[in-house]
Amino acid sequence: MAVAARLNRLWRAFGVSFAFALFGIGGLALGFLVMPLIRLTTLDPDSLRRRTQRFVHHCFRGYIALWQWMGLFSAELHHLERLRTPAGPQGRLVIANHPSLVDVVLLVSLLPEVDCIVKRSLWRNPFLRWPVLWARYIPNDEGETLVRACVERLRAGRTLLVFPEGTRTRPGEPLRMQRGAAQIALAAGCEILPVQVQCQPEFLSKRQWPWQAPMTTPHFRISIAPALTAHARPQPGEPVSLAARRLTREFMAWYAESSGAPPL
Amino acid sequence: MPRRYNPLMRTESEIFESLRGILIELFEIEPAKIRLEARFFEDLDIDSIDVIDLLLKLNEVTGKKIQAEQFKHVRSVGDVVSALATLLNGPHERAA
Repeated sequence: MAVAARLNRLWRAFGVSFAFALFGIGGLALGFLVMPLIRLTTLDPDSLRRRTQRFVHHCFRGYIALWQWMGLFSAELHHLERLRTPAGPQGRLVIANHPSLVDVVLLVSLLPEVDCIVKRSLWRNPFLRWPVLWARYIPNDEGETLVRACVERLRAGRTLLVFPEGTRTRPGEPLRMQRGAAQIALAAGCEILPVQVQCQPEFLSKRQWPWQAPMTTPHFRISIAPALTAHARPQPGEPVSLAARRLTREFMAWYAESSGAPPL
Repeated sequence: MPRRYNPLMRTESEIFESLRGILIELFEIEPAKIRLEARFFEDLDIDSIDVIDLLLKLNEVTGKKIQAEQFKHVRSVGDVVSALATLLNGPHERAA
């Protein structure tokens, strides 16, 4: 390996570890110092939700800009305008595959106001409980409770980000999605915006540590598909349980097809 | 005391047959997979949301209000059959 490539890899291993540490420290500082100031700007829970979500979005934008400025990865975005058009009155469900830890941050950096599903344990974290509460993020409860909470947000016309796999994609294995996202879409009757996230080479995946930098600089390709509008309705006579299975198969087929991987 | 004839009494095998039909209709499960010992999540790919749909369907079919509580510990097809037998026939009498 050429010396330059070797140095570049070393830099990225250091840079990603540094960025992780910054995320932890910065997250605590912002959550503890800045968020309470936002809390003081309004008494209305919905304005507070909007301001907190926008603040998180701007922090993530800055954070992503830092990663790119440090040369830790590059990214290309396709059809971003599809995310920018306002959601209909039934709300918008943004679904994405989840190859890397970074893609949550990337997607929130593209969505100014978005409801997210977040680990339940954060509501007990002394630093982060208030931010997640004020942003009205949704705790990852079990089955029906979670679906109901998500549907309620969509019915209010909001945008909800869901990773239907429920965890990061296992590299080299066929994509396996749970049916929750389809259940939510069917119950809400919302439009669905599928986002394809591709990352080459593998980066911060389920089996990698932050300091395990790949040989070459990771490159993300984020591509937003046209909204699916009619899909989130059961066909005449079709029970919802079957519609959820059909819709989930359609999601998986779309992801398999658009990533060039063989269908499941 | 002679047992009175009760039209609502259902044997466990009758209940199993009806349940099999419902599982195929609601979840497209291969008939061969539906056995008493089949576990919902592991063997039949029926998740917690599906269980709620199943409950609604059973409410409709039996005409009885089944509480989610009664289904909390249900893990397999056999568990549902015995829960339904108790519900339809009462806890003490079990149709042979």
